[in-house]
Amino acid sequence: MQQNKWGRWGVFAFCAIWFVLTLFPLYWTLVTSFKPVLFVTSGPTYLPWIDFTPTLKPWLDAFSGERGDFVATFLNSVWISVSASLIAVILGSMAAYALVRFEFRVRVLSGVLFALAGIGTYVGLTQVKVGEVYAMATAFPVALAVSVIANRFPLPGPVMKNNDVVFWFISNRMMPPIVSAFALYMLYSKIGKEGMKMIDTYWGLTICYTAFSLPLVVWLMRDFFQSLPVEVEEAALVDDVPRFRIFLEIVVPMARPGLIAVTLITLGFVWNEFLFALILTTGDWQTLPILLSGQNSYRGDEWWAIAVAVMIAMLPMVLITIFLGRMMRSGLMLGSIR
Amino acid sequence: MRKLFTGFAAAVSLALVSAGSVYAQCKPQAGMPDYNGVTLTVGSQVGPYIASAMKQGGDSWTKKTCGKVNIVEFPFGELYPKYVTAFAAGEDAFDVITFAPAWTPDLAPFLSDMPAKMRQTEAWMDIHPTYRDRLMMWEGKHKSQTIDGDLHTMHYRIDLFENPAEQAAFKQKYGRDLLVPRTWEEYYEVAEFFHRPEKGIYGTTEAFARGGQQFWFFFTHAASYTNHPDNPGAMFFDPETMDAQVNNPGWVRALEDYKRSLALAPPGALNFSSGDTRQQFAGGKTSMNFDWGDTGTVGTDKSQSQIAGSVGSDLTPGSFEIWNHKTKKWDRFTRVVRSPFMAFNGWQAAVPATSKNTEAAWHYVETTTNVENSGIQVITGGSGVNPYRYSHFDSAVWEKKMSPREAQEYLVAQRDSLGADNVALDMRLPFYFDYTEVLEIELTKALAGQASPQEALDSVAQQWNELTDQFGRDKQLAAYRASMGLK
Amino acid sequence: MKDRSKYIFIWPAVLVVLIVTLFPLVYTLNLSFQYVRLIPPLPPRYVGVDNYAKLLDQARFWGVIGNTSTLVFISVGLQYVLGLGIAMALHSKVPGERLFRVTFLLPMLLTPIAVALVWKQIFNSQFGPLNQIFTTFGYPNPPFLTEITWTYSSLITVEIWQWTPFVILMMLAGLQSLPQDIYEAAKLENASNWQIFWTITFPMLLPISVAVIFIRIVEAFKIIDTVFIMTGGGPGIATETLTLFAYQEGLKKFNLGYTSAISFLFLIFIIVFGTLYMALLKPQLEKRN
Repeated sequence: MQQNKWGRWGVFAFCAIWFVLTLFPLYWTLVTSFKPVLFVTSGPTYLPWIDFTPTLKPWLDAFSGERGDFVATFLNSVWISVSASLIAVILGSMAAYALVRFEFRVRVLSGVLFALAGIGTYVGLTQVKVGEVYAMATAFPVALAVSVIANRFPLPGPVMKNNDVVFWFISNRMMPPIVSAFALYMLYSKIGKEGMKMIDTYWGLTICYTAFSLPLVVWLMRDFFQSLPVEVEEAALVDDVPRFRIFLEIVVPMARPGLIAVTLITLGFVWNEFLFALILTTGDWQTLPILLSGQNSYRGDEWWAIAVAVMIAMLPMVLITIFLGRMMRSGLMLGSIR
Repeated sequence: MRKLFTGFAAAVSLALVSAGSVYAQCKPQAGMPDYNGVTLTVGSQVGPYIASAMKQGGDSWTKKTCGKVNIVEFPFGELYPKYVTAFAAGEDAFDVITFAPAWTPDLAPFLSDMPAKMRQTEAWMDIHPTYRDRLMMWEGKHKSQTIDGDLHTMHYRIDLFENPAEQAAFKQKYGRDLLVPRTWEEYYEVAEFFHRPEKGIYGTTEAFARGGQQFWFFFTHAASYTNHPDNPGAMFFDPETMDAQVNNPGWVRALEDYKRSLALAPPGALNFSSGDTRQQFAGGKTSMNFDWGDTGTVGTDKSQSQIAGSVGSDLTPGSFEIWNHKTKKWDRFTRVVRSPFMAFNGWQAAVPATSKNTEAAWHYVETTTNVENSGIQVITGGSGVNPYRYSHFDSAVWEKKMSPREAQEYLVAQRDSLGADNVALDMRLPFYFDYTEVLEIELTKALAGQASPQEALDSVAQQWNELTDQFGRDKQLAAYRASMGLK
Repeated sequence: MKDRSKYIFIWPAVLVVLIVTLFPLVYTLNLSFQYVRLIPPLPPRYVGVDNYAKLLDQARFWGVIGNTSTLVFISVGLQYVLGLGIAMALHSKVPGERLFRVTFLLPMLLTPIAVALVWKQIFNSQFGPLNQIFTTFGYPNPPFLTEITWTYSSLITVEIWQWTPFVILMMLAGLQSLPQDIYEAAKLENASNWQIFWTITFPMLLPISVAVIFIRIVEAFKIIDTVFIMTGGGPGIATETLTLFAYQEGLKKFNLGYTSAISFLFLIFIIVFGTLYMALLKPQLEKRN
């Protein structure tokens, strides 16, 4: 596009204003985290040493454990988000790969059979006094088996193809989390009564986050794989190299930038998630957003302390952004949108 | 290399063994039970308020009995849901819970009784009877231990009130001396007098934010006009019929007053929670406020306050007139009747019946709230603990933190409120959140001017009566009477 | 290609998603036809469609839908316009483009709870920096979070701040994928920038725009964190959103049947909206292509 000099300056000014708007809230929080109490309640100040005398006290307070255990909570957040996003990316990219390179046909009728078999088995088993959890644990594989076998036969009715399967994955992301959060709590608590603790455990949260990250991973990774050339794989296939080795040795290295980007994005989603963490933890595995929201209640707005908490939660995300931003330059995000 | 590894392994196992033996060597203090190997999980709101007191008590208990305490903290708003979900699912998540007495009716079925031997000590008699015999009980049983005393007291700026120039100006304007207000009329006169927005000083401040302890401030106003000395327990509901009283003329006048306070408060006050009012007062922005005891401890603390040394305290104002719901008339009294309001009723600690360590848990609660430990907590700013024992009113300890006059007034206000003849108890009722949600929504409408006080409160009363019918009028009535100490 | 191993690839993901999402869906649906209170623990009873009937009859429910829609449509609309503008600016290789790119991405990755806490400070009517600016221009202490119109503006500002980056990211990718030769041709014909935008860029970006707006709307409808922290749904219930309403009913009052009904109506609403949106726009898109 041709542009005159003024036009270019206008565009630059526009970006510069947005730049300031984007960074100011973060700058404000950073300086507030070093403000002594009296400087917060006496009006806004902006420049350390000129406007106010900075102090480390809010930071020391945060690490003293007086306002909640930041260290342990931070580590919880790290473990859970790292493992959930890794698992989600591994499983999700496998599925995405399969959806790109193979053809799937799922008959709608076999889905209906799944529901019928599942509900039937469950109701039947609970009638004969089998525990709810065991009834569920039996009903699920039975229903699955019925529908998988049924799918082999040329049933009448519409057939869903790869795109519909992808849409099914994505539609799970459309579901409002409030629909499932409480039900998941009840499920976990029932499993807990059978001796396997799920609430407030590492696995409980990790599984939940894996499941809710998968739709996103499948969706994004599918586009990455679609943009990869198929010729190398075909050559390998001719040489009878097993699929799994092709995936690991050819596809994964080619898609590495995409995998890293998707991992980071997933990491961000899990790190920031509030509602599930709120409902599924009772203390040991609390994550940062919960601790953060606690800084806001009952005793009013102690901005200096809140600012520290906010900085602690944001810092890893800032690092991820910088990393992602550098990757973006290679036109990496292109695939994700078609 | 291999040798190195063996050596390393040996060193590690040695360290583990010796650590284990140190652990085993922990000996409880003389006369104390041995809780080696016991770890209690204590639920609390995010610190420092209350949580730090539970921690202080925990450290002391660990030293005495070798048991360990793990405090888990949640945002205040998540505390109730957390307990309820855990109890309903039968989860053994907590050994001790700290909670608001308003939730007692909902939680009581899941709590263990306090052991009888806890109630036969001198320390027991030291607890103020308002807590000991009323708030710690539910349906005739001791279910919880008060860990913090809570009521609203008024605070004022000594430097403003005793400034000769202000005194003269006030006398000229109103024809009487500038004194600490005793009634709400006087309160608003003084507030209007000091309300000078152009100078950044405002008359008063209260909490107005939904979810920011708003309705407790409104209740404090209402107590003065509706807690009739001859009709005990008739403030919120008619204790005979369970009809909501919340729209009677006493309550309407209270809401009009509450709106007046909003007009005399700093900008943005509609979004203030009680914590904000404390900071406003301590920041020198208002001439008065009323609040829990924390305004006293925060306001007198030099590191947090610009008015340290000038924090005066008194009972919240009273009234000459109180609405009598039986005769449907205002009764006029010859003296000011003070009806200090036990806002929130003070945090409680209890032991869920699902706990596997009930005995140890109660022992921990007893240790945390004993005379010595609670005495430390009560003078620690930020612990959130306010006086609930007679021994807390010993002014000597307070003078370490406040000027003698500040300490004196603070303690008198606390003690006289608690001991007032017409002290008003806070509402405790099953389905508490259903009732307060209705109230919060209508209150906010009235404050925003979308409804007149009468309209707003009529709507509350109607919805409260519907809720009562929905949950069973007889059951709710019995619970209400129990909460007000009526037979 | 026919290959057994395709099942090994796809089943793990399908299983995890099925287990964790299917059960809650069925459980919630079942619950929505019952009267259930956790406290006091009474046995649940089936009440048919009572919960739904009561909800649809309740002014508060419709108010909540109105509030959420207002927030969502205004903020997503503005996000799109701003995001597209900024993406085009970045695409035109404005000086400092590398720095801008990374920075502009930042807000969308930050914890919403933290973002809300930060903005609550900035919107403080007394000690906040924005108040200082307004005071300088002779309008002291604006009721940022206490008066309805102001509150909506504040919430929308935060939404725009946090989520415009997503639009920028997507639109930038879209711009980069456009073929260059059309622009060369347009240049030869001496078309103005304005003409080029409306006849080439915008139409060609339409498919991705439709997708971006759809994603944003669906995500924005779930909004709870920002409102929860900044206004708590206030003043009154003027900014109460669907998820916040469900949360109040479910996790404050433990009126579980009712909450499930809200959740389900919400889900139906999203599905209906999604289907309509796609149905309306698909023919448009196909015509263009």
